[in-house]
Amino acid sequence: MANLLIVIPAYNEEESIQRVVDDLIQHYPQYDYVVINDGSRDRTASICRQRGYHLVDLPVNLGLAGAFQTGLRYAAEHGYDYAIQLDADGQHLPQYIAPMLELAQQGYDIVIGSRFLTVKKPKTLRMMGSYIISWAIRLTTGRAICDPTSGMRLLNRNMIQEFAQNLNYDPEPDTISYLIKNGAKVKEFQVTMKDRVAGQSYLTFMRSIQYMARMGISILLIQWFRKRDQSTPYPERSL
Amino acid sequence: MVLTPSIRILLVLGSLLTVAFVLSRIRKSKMQIEDSIFWLAFSAAVILLSLFPEIAFWCSRFLGFEAPINFVFLVIIFLLILKQFYMSIKISQMDNRIRILTQRIALNQESAEREKMDL
Repeated sequence: MANLLIVIPAYNEEESIQRVVDDLIQHYPQYDYVVINDGSRDRTASICRQRGYHLVDLPVNLGLAGAFQTGLRYAAEHGYDYAIQLDADGQHLPQYIAPMLELAQQGYDIVIGSRFLTVKKPKTLRMMGSYIISWAIRLTTGRAICDPTSGMRLLNRNMIQEFAQNLNYDPEPDTISYLIKNGAKVKEFQVTMKDRVAGQSYLTFMRSIQYMARMGISILLIQWFRKRDQSTPYPERSL
Repeated sequence: MVLTPSIRILLVLGSLLTVAFVLSRIRKSKMQIEDSIFWLAFSAAVILLSLFPEIAFWCSRFLGFEAPINFVFLVIIFLLILKQFYMSIKISQMDNRIRILTQRIALNQESAEREKMDL
């Protein structure tokens, strides 16, 4: 049994964190998990402490990228072979972890839990961004990534190390596109996701425009100029 | 004063240098992609104004400026002030975070020392 860490970044998720983590403890005891509380202003951290969850409590808000990277540093320091991001709002279903892990063990670096691999992507305004990003990745890498904005990504040990210690490795589509271009093996796996029950998304509507501009410029322009450096940039801090 | 070819060439060269510098910073992992977006968009805007001086011409006439070059300068100054404003906000937030982090470290150390004394 390979050891896998479930990273659960949580920002103001007091209403759903208990349901999500209790489900993991009860039905998936074979996996380890860690909750990364991203400086929440609500009772997320105190609920975790009260119930004895594995918790890393960030004293300030770092944003999703910083919180997820904290989880990956934890994974790297504790020698995990695989890590998967699972959202604290319960939209990612842990039943898909096993088949995704199997794919990673077949030699894929990144396995994405994809909503639209075999299911048609709806042509709604909300999905327009997803279409544009898929198109940009296809244009620059030649690979079809059907659900680039899915947050449910499983990383192998090499990817954990690389994500944990480098700058500009946000868990976002532009990083995926950059890694594909640099030879990482990425695979999608069809999953279904639940709509979020409580709490608010990291990505508010105001921020979507900014997000799209960033992804567009990053995937279409910036990623061409990046140099992949797999040796550690900070040898004194090597994990 | 109209937009002379020499000014246009200078603006384009300056913008291209900015783009090259920003991209090389990213290549060396010295800059976050978020922070580079502004400079890339800014350079693109300046290049656009230099390559198509008609834009500056129309806008300056519409706004009643004496010369198109004034419009170009105004756009550049406006964008830089906007950036300055956002940087000011960001520095405030960073200041606040450092304060919280410093307090956290000191409080953790205090409780660790007290635990040691109790043992």
